[in-house]
Amino acid sequence: MKTGVCVFLAAFVSLGASWCGFVLAPVLQLGGAKQTVILQTTDNWPLQRTGDATLGLQVYRANGCAACHTEQVRQTGMANEVTLTGLGIRKPEDFSAFAKSLFVLPELASYTNAIAASLNGWNGALPKTLFITGDNDLASAMADRLKAAGVKSETRLVATGADIARGWGLRQSVAADYLYDQPVQLGSLRAGPDLANIGVRVPDANLQMNHLYAPKSVAPNSTMPSFKFLFEVRQKINGAASPDALNLPKEFAAADGFEIVPKPEAKQLAAYLLSLKANVPLYEAPFTPAK
Amino acid sequence: MSDENKSCSVPSTGEPVAMQSTTPMWIIVTTLILLFIGGVYFDRHSGWFDVKVYSPYSSAENLEAYQPKSSEGAFIARGKKTYEAVCGTCHGPDGLGKPDQAPPLAGSEWVTSKGINRLIHIPLVGIAGPISVAGKDWNMNMAAMGAALPDEDLAAVLSYIRSSWGNKASSIESDDIKKVRATIGVGAQPVTVEALMKLPE
Repeated sequence: MKTGVCVFLAAFVSLGASWCGFVLAPVLQLGGAKQTVILQTTDNWPLQRTGDATLGLQVYRANGCAACHTEQVRQTGMANEVTLTGLGIRKPEDFSAFAKSLFVLPELASYTNAIAASLNGWNGALPKTLFITGDNDLASAMADRLKAAGVKSETRLVATGADIARGWGLRQSVAADYLYDQPVQLGSLRAGPDLANIGVRVPDANLQMNHLYAPKSVAPNSTMPSFKFLFEVRQKINGAASPDALNLPKEFAAADGFEIVPKPEAKQLAAYLLSLKANVPLYEAPFTPAK
Repeated sequence: MSDENKSCSVPSTGEPVAMQSTTPMWIIVTTLILLFIGGVYFDRHSGWFDVKVYSPYSSAENLEAYQPKSSEGAFIARGKKTYEAVCGTCHGPDGLGKPDQAPPLAGSEWVTSKGINRLIHIPLVGIAGPISVAGKDWNMNMAAMGAALPDEDLAAVLSYIRSSWGNKASSIESDDIKKVRATIGVGAQPVTVEALMKLPE
């Protein structure tokens, strides 16, 4: 074959180029990643997991949790949420009419009707979200107007997107979040909900273990299989329940005189789930944290 | 076989030969236009492979524009956190102080004074000896608790104590701390009230 060398070189260069792009460059960029700092604080992020939670990652991996659960929050944009926090001398009933007079900015025209509608029948409860916009300048112009009008407002930066709206996190997942995951359990299929923020959403270890033992006891429509083999059914000692025994609804509980106690693996997995958090702002994934 | 040969429009004259021909101009132009569009799109959306820039942010500037502004509220909240970690043990989370441990900060004329030089001195070098706070006499020592804090944190703490528990005094900025820190030598000893009163307000 006359062109053998050419074919080899062409294949080598094209495969080598993609290897450089997909493997070498990310390793050079992120291979030496260190802890980063939570925005507007001096606290480090992420923190090393406890021993149980580190072992729990291996239980998560061994049981194939990543086959049905992802650990990555996606985000499609950023928005400014302009919220009314104080009315000053104004009365809530007047504010609606008064607010309309504020909306003389031509850029605000498309928001005016929505704001007026949301103020209709408002009983004066504060804080009240006035409008949400992706335009930074518009938000700050509006904040200036509200300030000049003598009412107090607050502009918060919030992440937007379907995952955020579902409450799966307050911002998108970034590389720093996975610093202590070995291996990273990103997942690619969502037969179940995303777990990147499960430690904040369900911070109760007992509830997590109930859910692992009998998913339907926590979420009646769950399609998750039961992970009963992470638990043990034991005879109660002198009829008294152990401190670790699961407190399940009657139809899921063990027979009289017996109790269900978690094996170490179940405790580790629960500890790992509680360590999953995506609720702090980072430089690369900013938002305004709640006070 | 011979029938098929006859149906060809061009009579075959021996072996076919590959000849050189110029690439059509339209292919070159289209490729260049596509490359240009791709380049512009890449420039606008890639973030130039910056490790901190993730989609949906298009560039480092775009990400910078969406950093939350350090609001007064966040600054005070930061001061509160530092206060509770560093100062609250003795002065109390409510700023009321503790008998025989630390005088109150709430309603203290030292905290809410108009000039801030003396107030900033106290956490930076510590204070020793008798002091009168809000009409009561105290006699104890405070170490230089704020000397190790970053300027920004100390400014936040002082702003917090000046604006909490009924105190209503102006905020202190980290530049103020920096200025006072520059006037203090290394290894400065805790000041007494007499020494403090000699300092500019």
